[in-house]
Amino acid sequence: MAFYDEDTERYLHEFRPQTIRELEVAPRQRKVSLRQLTAAAAVVVCAGGIFWVTCRELKHSNEAANVQTPKVSLTSQRRHRTTVALTKLALSDNEGFETLLTEESRKSLPNFQEEQSALKILAKD
Amino acid sequence: MKLEGLKKKPLQTTRLTRDEVKSLYVRHGATLVAYARSYGLDHASAEDVVHHLFLKMLGKKTFVLQSPLAYFYRATRNASLNLRRDRQHETDLQVTQSWFVHPSGSLDEVLNLQQALRDLPEEQRETVFLKVWSGLTLLEISEITQTPLNTVASRYRYALEKLRERLGKRLQTKG
Repeated sequence: MAFYDEDTERYLHEFRPQTIRELEVAPRQRKVSLRQLTAAAAVVVCAGGIFWVTCRELKHSNEAANVQTPKVSLTSQRRHRTTVALTKLALSDNEGFETLLTEESRKSLPNFQEEQSALKILAKD
Repeated sequence: MKLEGLKKKPLQTTRLTRDEVKSLYVRHGATLVAYARSYGLDHASAEDVVHHLFLKMLGKKTFVLQSPLAYFYRATRNASLNLRRDRQHETDLQVTQSWFVHPSGSLDEVLNLQQALRDLPEEQRETVFLKVWSGLTLLEISEITQTPLNTVASRYRYALEKLRERLGKRLQTKG
């Protein structure tokens, strides 16, 4: 025995709701929020900053490399001079060796011959 | 049919995708429009109400609901009542407009059924719509409306009795 009135149910099922128009879904537009814009700007600024700093560092290191290279070579030349060449020079050309020593001492030691040199002032005292 | 043995299941959370929302629209949209019309709206307004609800749902990335269909029924009811209240001053011309289509094409039968449905109490009408035109079982209706199964069954039984009284002559001629 049916619990519900099947005739009435069947009768109701004969009716269909009227059709409706399709759901007009607008194509999704990507909304860029202020937060996303800020984040993107921050990323761009950071990336730019890092790039700039890197470029600057590279430039400085290149300059430093360019400056240091001759120094190293000079030092090595000097060292070379002091070890082998200076010995040879001293043995072969005494005058030249003396001149070289004078030049080197002038370069490394303070100038004693100027009017206002510290040694002269001290000597006067 | 044994109703006592059926225990009420706990409500589950549902996460709807856009496709699921569209699928719900295809399956239940027309019924929801008819349901909205049972609150006195014209076809265009009822369509607008249902469209608006679904588009609102589509606008959100995810929408967590205990029961999407129950939500749509409730939201349709509320929106229809609000719209109806706002338009109280307008002349009611809805009596002769049909929400349903009958295979015989008889407008009389349709209007008779509509009037019978309108005369039902709200809960009974909702139960009939959910059961007959949305195709849910009484247990599913009980779950989504958070109403005891026995209450849902009673509402449905009383609704059918009243409808039979109203449609009696037509049902007899069918039989």
